[in-house]
This record gives sequence, structure tokens and C-alpha cells, in this order.
Amino acid sequence: MLLWKIVFILGLIVFAVMAVWVTIAGARDIKRLFARIEQSHKK
Amino acid sequence: MTPEAAQLISQTNFTPLDWGIVAAYLLCSVAVGLVARKLIVSMADYVSAGRAVGTALGVATMTGTELGLITVMYSAQKGFSGGFAAFHIALAAFITTFLVGASGFIVYRLRAMEVLTIPEYYERRFGRRTRILGGIMLAFGGILNMGLFLQVGSKFIVGISGLSDVGGALPAVMTCLLVLVLVYTVLGGMISVVITDYIQFVVLSFSLLLVTGIAIMKLGWENIFATILAEMGEKGFNPLVSEGAFGTDYVIWMFFLGLVACGVWPTAIARALSVDSPATVKKQYMWSSVSFLIRFLIPYFWGICAFVFLVTKAPDLHRLFFPTAEGSEAMDNLYAMPVFLGQILPAGLIGLVTAGMIAAFMSTHDSYLLCWSSVITQDVVSPLMGNKLSAPARINLTRILIVVIGIYILYWGLVYKGSDDIWDYMAVTGAIYFTGAFAVLVGGLYWKRASSTGAILALLSGFIALCGLSPVQSLLGVEWSSAKVGLITVGCSLLMMVLGSLAFPDRREEGTQ
Repeated sequence: MLLWKIVFILGLIVFAVMAVWVTIAGARDIKRLFARIEQSHKK
Repeated sequence: MTPEAAQLISQTNFTPLDWGIVAAYLLCSVAVGLVARKLIVSMADYVSAGRAVGTALGVATMTGTELGLITVMYSAQKGFSGGFAAFHIALAAFITTFLVGASGFIVYRLRAMEVLTIPEYYERRFGRRTRILGGIMLAFGGILNMGLFLQVGSKFIVGISGLSDVGGALPAVMTCLLVLVLVYTVLGGMISVVITDYIQFVVLSFSLLLVTGIAIMKLGWENIFATILAEMGEKGFNPLVSEGAFGTDYVIWMFFLGLVACGVWPTAIARALSVDSPATVKKQYMWSSVSFLIRFLIPYFWGICAFVFLVTKAPDLHRLFFPTAEGSEAMDNLYAMPVFLGQILPAGLIGLVTAGMIAAFMSTHDSYLLCWSSVITQDVVSPLMGNKLSAPARINLTRILIVVIGIYILYWGLVYKGSDDIWDYMAVTGAIYFTGAFAVLVGGLYWKRASSTGAILALLSGFIALCGLSPVQSLLGVEWSSAKVGLITVGCSLLMMVLGSLAFPDRREEGTQ
């Protein structure tokens, strides 16, 4: 029981941190994606 | 479903405001598909987003694809029936995905080769015959695997929104969702897929955390564990207990599934092949291992909470799912989690969660539809036509196949009558492809003597997995656990790869690597 409590709480904490990071950095990646695709089309 | 049962599970907090939130979200998704359409010029744009996806977006899109509504539903079902013991599946997924990321096992080499699909790798390593057979096996196993997605996802909508007392609600919801997902997958391809995956990641990840917090507040942290202990005993916590829902062979099977789900499963591999470099693949997998843990862990917990809710707070519903009278049929336990959420979440938040779940549903469907249709186009039809198909013809064929597969999943969701848990159904149907693919990829990437005959025999061995489906077992008059059938299939595929390669080595000029 203790193992699953630890796994669950740690999992939630790490996921919460990752969700914030992916939300911010992912938006930046979308801008780069558009820029790179447009650049490759021009070439 | 009896009228009484339909009436009981239709009592939810879902309001017109929630329908408004759902509708607004869906309109935004279709708009993204339309915008992304302008960016598509080549097949690489359509299938791999121009191979220009960064790490964070790679994690978002990997999570968006793998954390679908179907995942939430089948995981909740496992948590509902197996208790905390089901958590071992999440732990296995986390460990294997992290190890694949840290080592680069399979995925690093595949990305470095710059192939678009796994069957394309088969051709480079083993020749065209292997590519075509690999494509057929992949599409067959994959399409069968997603056959119940639409039905299960629609059950969530019906359960949480209280539509169960409306006649014909399930097929109507299935049709609406299918039309929606087809429209923007056909329009946008992979570029719209990665963007909608990102939006889904944002909406869903925060919804998951919020709903989990509310469930704990409503039921009580210690009460959840105490109720499972009282109702299920040790088997509610220990997956190795033989009389429980799992057992040792099941746990081993889950570790193998964890490995193939991230290292061989084509929708995950498609994400690996879309990122901007092989080094990014490793980072993407190590970060995504957390998503692979959470995508199971939180829905299991919701399923467990639904069980605790029925036991401690909703005796009427409990009788519906666990009838004591002889001859009465138990309610489909897939409805337990959405009904639970519909009763504990406030109006407004239910709409947001439902929108997030529909987003999850759509992002899984678009990725899977795109994956299987592009495999048939790129790896079966195009090689059979001598690679003479033009880029526009390939994109059009892929779009037609997306619609055809969509119609199939509508049909299959309405007619399939198997009694397997959804997760076990998916494991077995997926095994038709991934058992052979695992042997072929590992052999091809890491063993110089692997031959095309060995690869073909290993791929064909995947058909043994069909024996794990309950309708097939009924036909054969046997009763085997899906885990045993899966592990036997893995063993046969690996054996066939080795024996076939040793007995029939490729002639030197046929080797392409």
C-alpha cells in the first residue's frame, strides 16, 4: 500500500512540473515549427 | 440497458453551459485543421510535420497521442476491477519508457536512419517483400486494435453527460465524433495533429490534476485505501497474488507491453521520427516516461475512486454494477468512471473535463487514422506500384483510407461482442503486429545475421496472438489468458526470427545494410 502511495504522489508532482514546462516550451516550439516549415518551402 | 438503469446513470451535473464549453472547443479544433492545411506541401509535411518538432512539443504530442480517452476508459476499468494492484502496469510503462529513452534502444537508430515508417526500415534492411508484409501486418493489427476506440470513447460522453436515457444516444454520439475527427485529420495531416496534441496536452493535463484533487477531497485519501483493503483484500494491492485480477505472467506481459508501446508501437515511433534529431528522441522519451506513467496512473485512480464511491456513497448504483439477485445482468463497468465524474464534478468543470477528454479522443484518433492510412499508402500500395505514386496522389489516397478506416471503426464498435476487458483486447490485437515487429526490429538493428526469411516468419508468427481474443477462444473451445497467449507469441516470433535467419541466410547482394 505504501509503495503505491509513494508512486502516486511522486508521479503527480513530477507530472505537474512537466505540464508547466511543456505548456511554456511547447508554445515556443510551435512557433519554430511554423518558421522551419515555411523556410523549407521557400528553399 | 434497462430503463431504470439508464435513468440511474443519467443523473449528472452536466448542464447546457458544459455543452457550450464542449462545442467551443470542438470549433477551435476544426479551425486548427483548416489553418494547418495551408502548410502541407509534401508527404513528409503530412506524415512527419516536416521532421521539425522540438523536445517540448515532441513530449506534448507523444502524450497527446498516448493519453487518449480510450486510455482513460480502459485504465479506469482496470482500476475499478483490480484496485491499486493495477498500478503495476503504470510502473512498468514508466520504467521501460525511461530505459528506452536513456539507452536509445531501437528508436535512436530508427531516427538516425531518417525513415518515415517502420515498414520503410524493413525494406532498407530486409527488402521489399518484408516491407509489404510488415505494412499489411501493421495495418491489420493496428486497425483491429482501434476497432473499439469509438464505442468506448462514446460511452464516456454518454455516461458523463447523462445521455443514457436518450434512445440511440450511443450510435449517434459515435457518428458525430467520427465525422468531426475525420474532417480535421483529412484536412490537416501531422501538422494539425501535433498542434491539436499540444492544445489537448494543456487542457487535459491540468484537468487530470484538478479532477484527481476533487476526487480525493470528496472521498477522503485514507478512506480510498481503507475501502479497497476492506472490499478486495491483498489482491487489491499486490498484482502477484494468483487469485487476483493479474498474476505473475500478467505482470511480465505488462513489462513487455510497456517496452513495445514506446519502442515499437507505430504511433509512438511516428513521434520519434518527427523530432528534429536523434538526440532529441532520447530526451523526448525520458520526459515522456512520466506521461506514460501518468496516463495509466490517474485513470486507474479514477476507476478506484469510482469503485469507492459506489461502495460508500451510492448504494443504488452499486447494486447496478454488482447485482446480487440471480439472473440480473451487471452494468457495463466502463460506465462507472464517467458516471462517478458526472456526479462529483460541478457544472462548468464537467464541460472542461469533457472537452479535454474529447480532445484526447480526437488526438488519439487522428494520430491512429493517419498512422494506419499512411502505412497502407507508403508501405503497401506504393511499393506494389513500383513507387510511381506522386506526392499529391499519396496524400489523396491517405485521405481516402482515413475515411474508409473511420467507417470500419464505426461498424466494428457496433457489432463486436467480445467479453474481454478493453485493455486486454487491445493488448492481444496489438500483439498481432508488435510481437513480430519487435523480433524484426531488434534482429535487424542489432544482429548482422538476421535475414529476410527470418523476418517474414517472425511477422507471420504474430497471427498466433488472435488466439487471445474471446470470440476466437469460443470458436476453438479453449480458455487461455491473454497474457499467456501474448508471451507465447513473443517467444514464437523471436524463435522464428533466429531459426529462419540461421536456416535461410540472405545472399550478400540482397542485403541492403
